[in-house]
Amino acid sequence: MRRTAAALVWAVAITAWLAARPALAQQLPDWSGVWTMVGPTVFDTATQTGKGAVTTPGVREHPPYNAEWEAIYRTHLDLRDKNRFPDTISNCGVPAGFPRLFNLPDTYEFIVRPEQVWVLTENGPNILRVYTDGRPHLADQWETYTGDSVGRWEGDTLVFTTRALKGFRDKDVILDRTGLVLSDKAHVTTRMRKLDPATLEVRMTIEDPVSLTRPWPVTKQFRKQPLGTRVYDYGCAENNRNPVDATSGKTLILGPDGAVLNK
Amino acid sequence: MRTTFKVAMLITLAVLGAAPARAHHSAAGFDNTKVKEITGTIKEFQFKNPHSWIQVMVEDEKGQQTEWSVEWGSPNNLGRQGIRPSTFPPGAKVTIRLNPMENGGPAGGFVGAKFPDGKTIGRWE
Repeated sequence: MRRTAAALVWAVAITAWLAARPALAQQLPDWSGVWTMVGPTVFDTATQTGKGAVTTPGVREHPPYNAEWEAIYRTHLDLRDKNRFPDTISNCGVPAGFPRLFNLPDTYEFIVRPEQVWVLTENGPNILRVYTDGRPHLADQWETYTGDSVGRWEGDTLVFTTRALKGFRDKDVILDRTGLVLSDKAHVTTRMRKLDPATLEVRMTIEDPVSLTRPWPVTKQFRKQPLGTRVYDYGCAENNRNPVDATSGKTLILGPDGAVLNK
Repeated sequence: MRTTFKVAMLITLAVLGAAPARAHHSAAGFDNTKVKEITGTIKEFQFKNPHSWIQVMVEDEKGQQTEWSVEWGSPNNLGRQGIRPSTFPPGAKVTIRLNPMENGGPAGGFVGAKFPDGKTIGRWE
C-alpha cells in the first residue's frame, strides 16, 4: 500500500515536471541548415512583391506613420536620394538591431533548443536570442539594439514578443536603407514557422504608439540553401572602403590609398 | 554527393551570373544605368569583407597608368558562388565592364569580366 502511494506520488511529480517544461526537444521543428532571405533588403511590401525596386519612385507602400514620423521619413528618403542618408552599419560598429535583423543579406542559421532559439546572421554578424524557458520580459529592461525577446511554441510555430528596443533615439538603428525608423517605444510580435521543407516564414506585427497609427504587418521568408553550404566570418572592418563621412553623412568610396573618390 | 553539390553550385552561379551583390553599403556614387569597359592588368584582388575590390592598372594612349577600383560582392557570397582569391590573379590581363562613378573617377561597380582566353565571369553577353 505504502509502495503504491509512493509510486503514485512519483508518477504525479514526473508528470508535473514534464508538463512544466517549455517543450521537449523531439517535439520541436527542424530548422537546421543554412538559409537566406527571399527578396530585397527592404521592409516595404511593394518592393517585396516585385512592383518595384527600393529606389523606384511611386511604388512604395509606406508604413502607417503618423504625420510627424511621415515627415521624418520623407526627409530620410530625400537624403537617401542625395547619398546623404548613411546606413548605420556602414561604419562597422553597431548591431543591425531588431527588426532589421530579419532584413539582412547573406546567410541565416536558426538554432532551436527547448529553452531558447538563436537566430545567427552572417552579415554583421548578429545574434537574436529568443527565450522560451518561461521567463517574462523584465519590467525595468533598458533599451538595446536587438531588445529583449521571450516566447513560446504553439505547435510548430514560434511566437515571441520583442521589447526594449532603442529605435532611432540615438540615430544608429534603421530598419532599411530607405530610412525607415521607429521610436524607442516600438515592440514587435513575431510568428515563425516552416511553410515547407525549404521555406521559413517570419510574420512580424510592428507596433509603435509614438510613430505608427496602427499595427504594421511585415512578412519575410527565408529559403533553405543547398546541403553543405558554408557560413563565413563577416569582418566588416576588414576592408571597409565605404565609410560614412561624419560631417556630411555621405557614404564615401575610397581608393586603395584611402583617398576619397566620390568627392 | 560531392559531384551533385558542385553541379548545384555551378547552376547557382549560372543563375546568379555572379551578379553584383553590394548589399552592405549603398552603391550610391555608381551609375547603374551605364556600363563602361576597361582593359588592363590586374594589380590586386582584395577578397575581403564587407566587399571585394579588383584593382586594375589601365594604361592610356599616352602611356599614363591609372589604377581603377572595381567593387564587387562580399567574399562570403562570391565564395559560395565559386569565386576564389585566385579568380583575378595579379599580373593577368583582363577586360572589365563596370557601372562607372557618376563623377568619372577611376572606380565602378563590377558587372562582368573577360580574360584573353575567352573565359568570362559575371554578366557578359
